[in-house]
Amino acid sequence: MTLTEELGTLGVDVEGALKRLNGNAALYERLLGTFPKTLREHYVDPDFDGNDYGTTTEMAHAIKGTSGNLSITPVYEAYTKIVNLLRGGQPEEARQVLKEVLPVQEEILACIERHMQQ
Amino acid sequence: MNKVRTLLIVDDIDINRAILADIFEDEYGILEASDGREALDALEKNPDIAAVLLDLLMPGMNGLDVLAEMNKNKKIERIPVFLITAADSEEMLMEGYHLGAVDIISKPFMRYFLKHRISNVIELYAHRNDLEMIVAEQVEQLNQMNQAMVETLANVIEFRDGESGEHVKRICGLTRILMNQVSSMFPEYRMPKEEIEKIVMASILHDVGKISIPDRVLNKPGRLTAEEFEIMKQHPVKGCEMLQNIPAVMDRGIYDYSYDICRHHHERWDGRGYPDGLVGDDITIWAQVVSLADVYDALTAKRVYKDAFSHEKAVQMIFGGECGAFNPRVLKAFEAVADRVREKKWMSHQLQKNESLPGRTEG
Repeated sequence: MTLTEELGTLGVDVEGALKRLNGNAALYERLLGTFPKTLREHYVDPDFDGNDYGTTTEMAHAIKGTSGNLSITPVYEAYTKIVNLLRGGQPEEARQVLKEVLPVQEEILACIERHMQQ
Repeated sequence: MNKVRTLLIVDDIDINRAILADIFEDEYGILEASDGREALDALEKNPDIAAVLLDLLMPGMNGLDVLAEMNKNKKIERIPVFLITAADSEEMLMEGYHLGAVDIISKPFMRYFLKHRISNVIELYAHRNDLEMIVAEQVEQLNQMNQAMVETLANVIEFRDGESGEHVKRICGLTRILMNQVSSMFPEYRMPKEEIEKIVMASILHDVGKISIPDRVLNKPGRLTAEEFEIMKQHPVKGCEMLQNIPAVMDRGIYDYSYDICRHHHERWDGRGYPDGLVGDDITIWAQVVSLADVYDALTAKRVYKDAFSHEKAVQMIFGGECGAFNPRVLKAFEAVADRVREKKWMSHQLQKNESLPGRTEG
């Protein structure tokens, strides 16, 4: 399977992303290739401080925007919830959503990185 | 057509910048900045930036800081700014709008709508900026026409009344010095510099009515008879009648000042002037100032019926009440600038050709 086919099976809205990029598949793949780096730079640690999570909110916000633009829907939807919960003063609920999405996120990252190495 | 225009994309995440660049690079030059500081540098170095797509949340200097700076340097008036947002807090977006952002770009981006919304606003701004430039050019042309016309009229007066010579030019200089002094000394008479320059321009026409006074009276070497003086006293009203025929071709502001100064520069603070017998501050401050300037210049200039008095003698006569009654505050302002006026007087006699008219640089 190609990268985009495999990402499709992981819930990524490839069609929506390509529409955003005017059908430019090469650009999409290039941007997907930089997504792991963006995620690492904005990594949201599930052990974040429940009393002081301003930076955590900003990191989650960045992942939300970027994953939305690349139509990585499972990550986008989870981080949308996380940001809303953090802004709503519900850090523990946000932590729960984060813990649930991390394996999905890892799977998508692994898929991208595997294809990028090929 | 828009290729020469440039979009500045400001986002700390390179993927977001790359997607926006891809959307717009066919139509615009693209500049990218990854934080607020870089954005401000780019704005400073690239005057042709047509719009800014600005992320709000960035490390270091954020989007709101950029907007605040663009308000300070007034770039926000010329360059539309779009806020890039993934549903940021309502307060931040409101603050962004308050600081002059024109619209919001939501993530995930919707290519088609985004492209059209931004292009439409850029076109509107470009059109507005062009119009402002055209209007500014036309205003400048009008000002030049006004100045030429007023100067022509002044020359006509001088030609007709050979005695006056450089009188109107000296009146301009005195009016400028005195108006600025009155305006800075007394809050009740404070006026913007641009208005003062209009008054200076208008002062040129204070004696335009003298054109209608017969030679035998206007250029009589000796003292005027009572009957002749009555004829001479008609020149303010005659001047206004002349000005009434030209308002459409004059700047409205200059016309209004000219009319008022022409009619009231022989009024007196005590109400014993002419033609309307106005008292005190019923006489506008600009007419009062030109009146004093006119008296001072008449005293210190040589006329067919008298020699020139020295500056000191003229000042003494004015403060002694020998030449009319003036507003005490205008006299205070005159006292404060008397030394400068004396220098100006010397300059005007020595270097009459260089005397400045309104709109030209005063020496």
